[in-house]
Amino acid sequence: MNIKTSYPFPAIVGQEELKISLILNAINPGVGGVLIRGEKGTAKSTAVRALAALLPEIEVVEGCLLALSPEEAAAGRCEGCGLCARQGGAVRRPVRVITLPLNATEDRLAGGIDFEKTTRDGRRTVQPGLLARAHRGILYVDEVNLLDDHLVDMILAAAAAGDNRIEREGISFSHPARFILVGTMNPEEGELRPQFLDRFGFSVEVTAETDRELRVLTMEQRETFDAAPASFIEQFAAETRELARRIEKARRLLPKVVMAGRLRALISELCIEARVAGHRADLIIEQAALALAAFSERLKVEDEDITRVAPLTLRHRRREPGPPPPPPEKKPHGNSHGEEPAEEESEQEENPSQDGQAGEEEKPPPEAKPEQDPGETGDSSGTPDENKEPTKPVNTEARKKVFEVGATFRVKPFTVRKDRLFRRGSGRRSRSRICGRQGRYVKSTMPRGGKDVALDATLRAAAPYQRHRQSDCAITIRPEDIWEKVRERRIGNFLLFVVDASGSMGARGRMTATKGAIMSLLLDTYQKRDKVAMVSFNKAEARLALPPTSSIDMAARLLSELPVGGRTPLNAALVKADEVLRGQLVRDPTLRPIVVLITDGRSNEALGNGKPMDECLELARRLSCEERARFILVDTEEQGLIRFGLAAKIAEALGARYFRTAELKADALLDLIKKKT
Amino acid sequence: MSCKSIYPFVAIVGQEQMKLSLYLNLINPTLSGVLIRGEKGTAKSTAVRALADILPMIKVVKDCPFQLAPSDGMSLCRECFHVDCRERRSTGNHVESQRRHIKVVELPVGATEDRVVGTMDLEHAIRKGEKRIEPGLLAAAHRGILYVDEVNLLDDHVVDVLLDAAAMGVSTIEREGISFSHPARFVLVGTMNPEEGELRPQLLDRFGLSVRVEGIADRESRVTVMERRVAFDENPMAFARQWEGQSRTLVERIEAARHLYPEVTINREELFTIADFCLDVGVDGHRGDIMMMKAAKTLAAFDNRRKVEKSDVEAAAELALPHRMRRQPLMEINDNTNKIKEMHR
Repeated sequence: MNIKTSYPFPAIVGQEELKISLILNAINPGVGGVLIRGEKGTAKSTAVRALAALLPEIEVVEGCLLALSPEEAAAGRCEGCGLCARQGGAVRRPVRVITLPLNATEDRLAGGIDFEKTTRDGRRTVQPGLLARAHRGILYVDEVNLLDDHLVDMILAAAAAGDNRIEREGISFSHPARFILVGTMNPEEGELRPQFLDRFGFSVEVTAETDRELRVLTMEQRETFDAAPASFIEQFAAETRELARRIEKARRLLPKVVMAGRLRALISELCIEARVAGHRADLIIEQAALALAAFSERLKVEDEDITRVAPLTLRHRRREPGPPPPPPEKKPHGNSHGEEPAEEESEQEENPSQDGQAGEEEKPPPEAKPEQDPGETGDSSGTPDENKEPTKPVNTEARKKVFEVGATFRVKPFTVRKDRLFRRGSGRRSRSRICGRQGRYVKSTMPRGGKDVALDATLRAAAPYQRHRQSDCAITIRPEDIWEKVRERRIGNFLLFVVDASGSMGARGRMTATKGAIMSLLLDTYQKRDKVAMVSFNKAEARLALPPTSSIDMAARLLSELPVGGRTPLNAALVKADEVLRGQLVRDPTLRPIVVLITDGRSNEALGNGKPMDECLELARRLSCEERARFILVDTEEQGLIRFGLAAKIAEALGARYFRTAELKADALLDLIKKKT
Repeated sequence: MSCKSIYPFVAIVGQEQMKLSLYLNLINPTLSGVLIRGEKGTAKSTAVRALADILPMIKVVKDCPFQLAPSDGMSLCRECFHVDCRERRSTGNHVESQRRHIKVVELPVGATEDRVVGTMDLEHAIRKGEKRIEPGLLAAAHRGILYVDEVNLLDDHVVDVLLDAAAMGVSTIEREGISFSHPARFVLVGTMNPEEGELRPQLLDRFGLSVRVEGIADRESRVTVMERRVAFDENPMAFARQWEGQSRTLVERIEAARHLYPEVTINREELFTIADFCLDVGVDGHRGDIMMMKAAKTLAAFDNRRKVEKSDVEAAAELALPHRMRRQPLMEINDNTNKIKEMHR
């Protein structure tokens, strides 16, 4: 919408790759969409919105809510629809860009019952959703990585079948849904599921221009636009029209463009080299190359067309160096998110811990590469640490260990038991009743004072009384008829790691083992959309090293850079942990956080004037008053030496489960948390 | 709203950066907001509430639930349920409009998504069998200020919705059988205490400016704070009257700056300075540049000048950049401020 006030496409400075990707999609829907990844403020959304002004026209059946083409109507897709008068006339209109807002509900995405018509006519009528509107058009999701999983599932199902089936609220209906998926995302906020990723034909990385001139030009144009949008658009009107004309022309040219067989071989070579899964990449490169040739007004695809579009297609499918997402997803069977409940149990047995250990030695971690990149680009300079030297070897070792554990372990699922509390939030860890309006409608219930009406149940409840309730309306519903929906979906948990990074932890690779365990948990956490936070303590302070986040990249980077050395301000750490917990519980009182405390318990820094140890126990007791949190303490005290047994005391005060160093192997720690929950 | 019991904005002692950032946003709403970071009890919330005193006026269609200006297009009105004004507008008749202060809409931390974006008016649906939208907070905040206290505690879902709307300037509702979109361009003002956790970077970037507030270290000013607070608590009306004159001066100054803003120009040379700044500190994307330029221009307008000077650019850097440099989660935002200050020298 609002074509009138959107920033003109040709006025976007730079970002050529982004622009050509969008143009190729406008020319050839076979390209299958584009995922725009990039940092904040790089004209991602602006470009997509501007695209609407350039889109070519298509023929649709007049009045059709499903955006069917005349051919589709002729092929019998109209049968049993009954949503329009079926006059059959065809009209031309531009391809639509349908925005899927993040807050969309299932019924609006897939379609649902038409409330108004149903109550008026007393007959169930379908209201097609966004998938129907997006048919033959573009489905645009801003911040697509934040989209709820149940919506992603629906998009995937529709995209795979080219067809959307509505089976809900007593409706059974299906309609074609072939759309181009365009999404923008900022990778800092988390990654996409691989299967969803694969649905995007192209992926484009956008970064800010580093050229001064271009930056200044960007500023100037933006300000001119903000000052007077209309005249700015007018200024670029000619260019916009010209581009639209070129796209239209290329679209007409497209069916005539041919590709030599030798070029197909080139494509498959490129794909094999990139080790892509499946054949989608090959097809997309071909379609994109055709579109690019058409855009260049050529009737023959040339090598350069292919070399230009191949990186766009292969970037997010390439499997060796790969983007940051964690290794388990790279397994071909790793993307079974949709049917997790069934698999959870069986997989526990399939992954005995030895597998993990065996794999650790020989696999050189390919994943280490992307992980190092961010470190090199400026971040390492920022780590303010005088004891960098002693930590370095630990770091690299930890990194190795970390990645091997991550690569070979499939973390066994651990969830918080399902209870009857209604929660808000999202994720994929534990199933929970949801009090918002998202999530699956699992059943209806008597009203709880909400507004989430289960229409089918309400109508059913009202039906028997209709004869006695004579009125103007087709159906009369009284307040007592109303039923509400019970919704359910998975939500993430919150894990708080409190990690002792004092000097004593550095010994004998204990920190390495600890980091390995945390890393595996983080990988699992990423997929389950949990939140994690990490408090680390050494020298004289406890820091919230990682604020509550769901960004695995950030957590992983931080973990590998965690320095070791100095004293053990355990008391300060407990206070910090309490603070973090409280903050989270204020946000969501139904949260059930898990606190993993990893230390040798030798608290030697008091906050007040008392003895450090006494104070520590007192703090632990106070912390344990928070009944919603669970605690796990891992004692890292060396065996064989004189033992102080301090950590055990702390565990007792905390009401935590207590485990010793010997049990602190990656798999052991994971098991521990699972047992706990 | 009982404006009289609000602590007058001009009576707030010190906190010049915070006040300045709020003025700038009133002058130029495209700055898209300010994030106020600071410890407890530093007049963060007081300042935002007190804004009610000094808000500029806008022209709106009378009773329009979407705060549309009389000159706005009518595409939205076609679907609007406000029948009396819809009919008038569609027949091209004169619609009643009114001038009123822009609104400060508060988004409570516990707000549910449907309250934020709007939802189906259930009562109407059941009674009349018609779908009708019940506009949410985003509709109410259009052309105004959306204020989130403790923005870092906001539910992730609501943050997503905010990001969505802020990115597009449009709020799209696709829920419960309703499909509707309305403009939602608002100034986002958030306060937070960094001790409670940081914001997600994406949301952070949506705030045009950020300021840090601290307790005042000066003894005398602290005494003044106490004295004024006591005087206000004892007799709010009298206290407000006492400050009325200054309030009016300020409102006039803001109003004048609003008119002047379109005429403010900036040299290419200054633009290059801005670009260099942003490249040097390494901000993500281009929003830093754009916001810094806008801030510099607004500062000039506030100073009643038509031309941006070097000092404006430097002041703008301190407001627009600190929260955008945060490339590493551990680095404190104040470190950035210091770094920026050093760069001036």
